[in-house]
Amino acid sequence: MALGIAIEVKNLSKTYKGALVPAVNNISFAIPKGEIWGLLGPNGAGKTTTISMLCGLLAPSSGDIHLNGLDYSSQRDAIKKIISIVPQDIALFPTLTAYENLEYIGNMYGLKGAMLKQKINDSLEVFGLLENADKRIEKYSGGMKRRINLIAGILHQPQILFLDEPTVGVDVQSRNIIVEFLHRINKEGTTIIYTSHLMEEAAELCTGIAIIDHGAIIASGKPAQLVQQYECLNLEDLFLKLTGRTLRD
Amino acid sequence: MLRLFATIKKEFLILLRDKSGLAILFVMPVALVTIMALIQDAPFRDYQEMKIPLLLLNKDEGDLGKKISAGLKDSKIFEVNYFNGTTEAARIAIAGGKYQIGIIIPAKATNLLDHKIDFFVNATLASMGLTDSTASTTAVQNSSEPVLVYFAPDIKKSFKNSVLSSIRQVAAKLESQSLIESFKKELSNAGTPEAHSNTEFGDFITFREESAVEHPVTNLELNSVQHNVPAWTMFGMFFIVITLAGSMIKEREEGSYLRIRTMPGSYFTVMAGKIISYLFVCLIQFSLMLMVGIFLLPVFGLPQLTIGSNIPAIILVALSSALAATGYGVLVGTVFNTHQQSSTFGAVSVVILAALGGIWVPVYVMPEVIRVIAELSPLYWGLNAFQTLFLGGGDFSSIWANTSKLLIFFALTVGLAYFINKTKNN
Repeated sequence: MALGIAIEVKNLSKTYKGALVPAVNNISFAIPKGEIWGLLGPNGAGKTTTISMLCGLLAPSSGDIHLNGLDYSSQRDAIKKIISIVPQDIALFPTLTAYENLEYIGNMYGLKGAMLKQKINDSLEVFGLLENADKRIEKYSGGMKRRINLIAGILHQPQILFLDEPTVGVDVQSRNIIVEFLHRINKEGTTIIYTSHLMEEAAELCTGIAIIDHGAIIASGKPAQLVQQYECLNLEDLFLKLTGRTLRD
Repeated sequence: MLRLFATIKKEFLILLRDKSGLAILFVMPVALVTIMALIQDAPFRDYQEMKIPLLLLNKDEGDLGKKISAGLKDSKIFEVNYFNGTTEAARIAIAGGKYQIGIIIPAKATNLLDHKIDFFVNATLASMGLTDSTASTTAVQNSSEPVLVYFAPDIKKSFKNSVLSSIRQVAAKLESQSLIESFKKELSNAGTPEAHSNTEFGDFITFREESAVEHPVTNLELNSVQHNVPAWTMFGMFFIVITLAGSMIKEREEGSYLRIRTMPGSYFTVMAGKIISYLFVCLIQFSLMLMVGIFLLPVFGLPQLTIGSNIPAIILVALSSALAATGYGVLVGTVFNTHQQSSTFGAVSVVILAALGGIWVPVYVMPEVIRVIAELSPLYWGLNAFQTLFLGGGDFSSIWANTSKLLIFFALTVGLAYFINKTKNN
């Protein structure tokens, strides 16, 4: 494993029980540390399956995964401490307050006491939620939930952060804060793996992308280079050129 | 440890804010214990305590009528109501539900009994050559009118048998007394010296009632409270399945379980946090139920719950039962995918296990096949262990088998949940 590689995947495959074709078919890629790397693809292409395997939520059928040099098959506990996921759904406890949610999550990562309290308050302040710290999540608006969902993912300052459609359903102001914050933590050293259907946002945010379809990576590289290589107008044009215009389920 | 405490704190906060879940866990068992103890109080009471209202129409003017009347009164089972009317009027009063039982002693019943006894005594003595064999042999040629016993239509068969048995006991005593008197009279007439002229014969065979358990709790019998409080406490503890399984499914549906899975901490740490929280709830529930039995039910005129003196053993049974209940909850929460599935299955399965475990009806009155199946119910193990301690004054040696079964049940359910969870995630 080369130094400076955040994620290295070799011959990764996943076939679900009873399925005739693999959801992910023998993919290999490497993501350097410090990247904001976009995994793009239409519905059912294999994005979620790939991310789930990288996060340890799903066991691969075959292949190897290394995160920051740690082997997933034998060093899973160590890996859990350095990664985080911000799923598309709000993965929080709705009847707990924002503070209680973050305190629980912080404790699970070994954070406690005054340091944890400081981290929670700082994060809530950055995302404009400090005044609502003692409000239950179920009472939050959609945009507030998205922001607190993101804070829950970055509280322990993960080395690798997986983001699944982090800005879906948020207003322009919330989206702006989220994107700015992602740039900030990326500059501070966090490698970000990002999936989205928003090509404009991906082009703005990502330093590298891979387009996946039918379980295989069909293109990867820097967004601008790929657009140029395939003689497209922009990332959306490239996406449609590579994945087709047929509707997907 | 920090992760375990964090999980326990999180579970408590979630539980405290789930008002309907708390109602299921605390209000429902208290209501069940109170209502069931009140409803089942009468069936559990001894007939002697109950004083069954009885109508007595005595048409006989002789001793028999008086003695039956006195015997029924002395038996202390019946509240004797003397009736002055026709047999038909008495029958209508019983059929109408005013009385549950009616006894009609026919006219000249004393004469008839005397004749029958004279005939029997003379025949016996004649066969022994002590008297003239021709004396009074035609005395019982007249057909006899029986003592009529009427029952209200809604009387249970077992109750009917019990009452008939009590009446027969009174009648048998009168018969034997009359026989002895008659024998004494005839033997005296035959010139044989009268023996034991002033002797009162007691029962020839005597009985003494003793408890089969080594150290019974003094003067304590199974009553509605002694049955219902531990029974419905077990039921309430197992009803935690619905809340616990529901919380697990809710976490999966809401996505928070996904976050838990990606965070440091093993499956067992997360489950231990959940189990410890619900275990604590079960123990609070158990203490509450005992307090209902000790303090609340006597307010309604029911007997006070007696729990014996072996508190450490009671705590052990409560802990084992609570572990079995939470283990079952974890399994149900792992197997099912939706809240609806888990709550339906959880509720129905606990009701079935409760029925089999003798929560409603004692297991010993069930058919043999069901009795065998009943021994597989964890509610039966828990209830049995509690009854052993509450009624039988048992110690650790008398409850180890049932507590071991409960603990094995806990280990099996959690182990199975772990493997199912692992399979599902792959």
